[in-house]
Amino acid sequence: MPPNARWNRVVGALSSLKLTLVCLALLMALTVICTLAQVPLGTHVAVDRTIRTFLVWWQPEASSLKIPVFPGGGLVGFVLFVNLALAQFLRLDWSRRKAGLWIMHLGLALLFLGEFATAFFQVESHMPVEIGQTRDFTEDYRRLELAVVDATDAARDTVTSIPDSIVKAGGEIAHASLPFKLRVKRYYDNAELHMRRPTDPPSEATGGVGANLLVHPEPPVSGDDQQNAAAALVSAVAADGRNLGTLWLSNALGAPQGFLLDGRDYKLSLRPRRYYLPFSLTLKEFHHDRYAGTDIPKNFSSLVRLKDPMRGEDRDVLIYMNNPLRYAGKAFYQASFGKNDTLSVFQVVRNPGWLIPYLSCALVALGMMLHFGLKLGSAMGGSK
Amino acid sequence: MKALFPLIAVISIFACRRDAIEVRQVPKENAPADISSGAVENPPPAKSLSWTTPAGWKEEPGDGMRVATFTPPQDAGKSQATVVALPGDAGGELANVNRWRGQIGLTPIDEGTLASARKTVKSRAGAVLIYDFIGSGTKKPRLVAGMIKVDATTWYFKLMGDEGAVGKNKPAFLKLLEGLKNNAS
Repeated sequence: MPPNARWNRVVGALSSLKLTLVCLALLMALTVICTLAQVPLGTHVAVDRTIRTFLVWWQPEASSLKIPVFPGGGLVGFVLFVNLALAQFLRLDWSRRKAGLWIMHLGLALLFLGEFATAFFQVESHMPVEIGQTRDFTEDYRRLELAVVDATDAARDTVTSIPDSIVKAGGEIAHASLPFKLRVKRYYDNAELHMRRPTDPPSEATGGVGANLLVHPEPPVSGDDQQNAAAALVSAVAADGRNLGTLWLSNALGAPQGFLLDGRDYKLSLRPRRYYLPFSLTLKEFHHDRYAGTDIPKNFSSLVRLKDPMRGEDRDVLIYMNNPLRYAGKAFYQASFGKNDTLSVFQVVRNPGWLIPYLSCALVALGMMLHFGLKLGSAMGGSK
Repeated sequence: MKALFPLIAVISIFACRRDAIEVRQVPKENAPADISSGAVENPPPAKSLSWTTPAGWKEEPGDGMRVATFTPPQDAGKSQATVVALPGDAGGELANVNRWRGQIGLTPIDEGTLASARKTVKSRAGAVLIYDFIGSGTKKPRLVAGMIKVDATTWYFKLMGDEGAVGKNKPAFLKLLEGLKNNAS
């Protein structure tokens, strides 16, 4: 077979309507698989393992082997995108009659691009803030960081933030901002922390609250209402080789632990990863409205003061259900509350492609109206 | 197809980006407590416990594993209540009860004695196990403690101090325990 003919066959298959239907069927199957997987895995992990991946992997129990068992959403979406693009350019003619179809295809292609943008660029975090409190950072509960804070200065802290991916890798961590090295001796994605009993073996930690705890590794959890209590056994070693202390750090422990070195006060903690903002929010009021005579929630709303010296913003904003604050590329949604209604929690989403789905839906709707409008006009006696 | 290559390249670059250590100067936090810490209310919308502070009681946020500290009004300064939250069973019921007993000079007890010492009060977050021990010595310290497991966290409420002061503040403390509420339910 001549190379050209072979190429034409490949292009023909890639742009075929059959492939479109196969892809759509696979997407429907993936939706069902993802929905079912959310029960044991939780929403985020299920989406990551079925939709935001190129292949769905299966790992037999007690084995490190991973076997691809189904195309993932990324692969199906990519093939469908290529299929739509090729079909558009190869099969549709550039005529006024087909303008609606062109717009519809463009809208669908944008929809897939939007999902890719979301998968790769979206960052989701939370901001818990109490009434009267001001916050200028959000926290990512699915990613952790080892924060080393030089708290010597009375007004400002110097924070060296080490992502959990580096801590998990173990070994020695050195950075120009730190006059000591950190040695990660152990890292557990999830652990149970028990108070030590007199009969327990000696702690590996030499100081801090962790010295009173027994740390036992547990299988990681991923359910929506579950939280891993990660634990890291970390030693700080001075430049002269002196051991400054070995600490059990965990995101389940509230207070940082630390040591003094050359008159400087260092605090270490394993905590949700922080993303600092160039502006701040102060929670002025939080309202948890209920239907009269019941405990059934009617509405949650937070009145916040937005201050951004760089942009000259200083104003009140009311955030309530389905009415997020959109500012500086981030959306702050009312997500939760606590502490006897004195704590409000915002879900913070940064997604540069958030407008794409709206745009694509509008284009598909416009394309359909145009296409069927033309058909209708033609059927009612217009020119053929 | 050529038009797709830049797109794939951009996606690949971002997909392969590595985490890096960052250094930042930040204003000192004046938060009363690190409310984002796992021991308190983490992660949103994780299930968490809330309570109504009894009238006249002064509540202050805690630190470390301690979530809150209360100063009861009766015989002020002679008793204190605390709330501690720990992941998991934190050693189990018997170990914690014996630890409390040790704090007021009492000897450890076994499972059988534990069962007879245990009382329960009902709250909207579930049953709270209650213990009331009076210690030895001339000052007679007393400890009333409540224990409740909510999801994967065990919460410990402890009222401790002079026998007289703890006795006077115990009814309000029990009322606080009866009013416990699981925010997520």
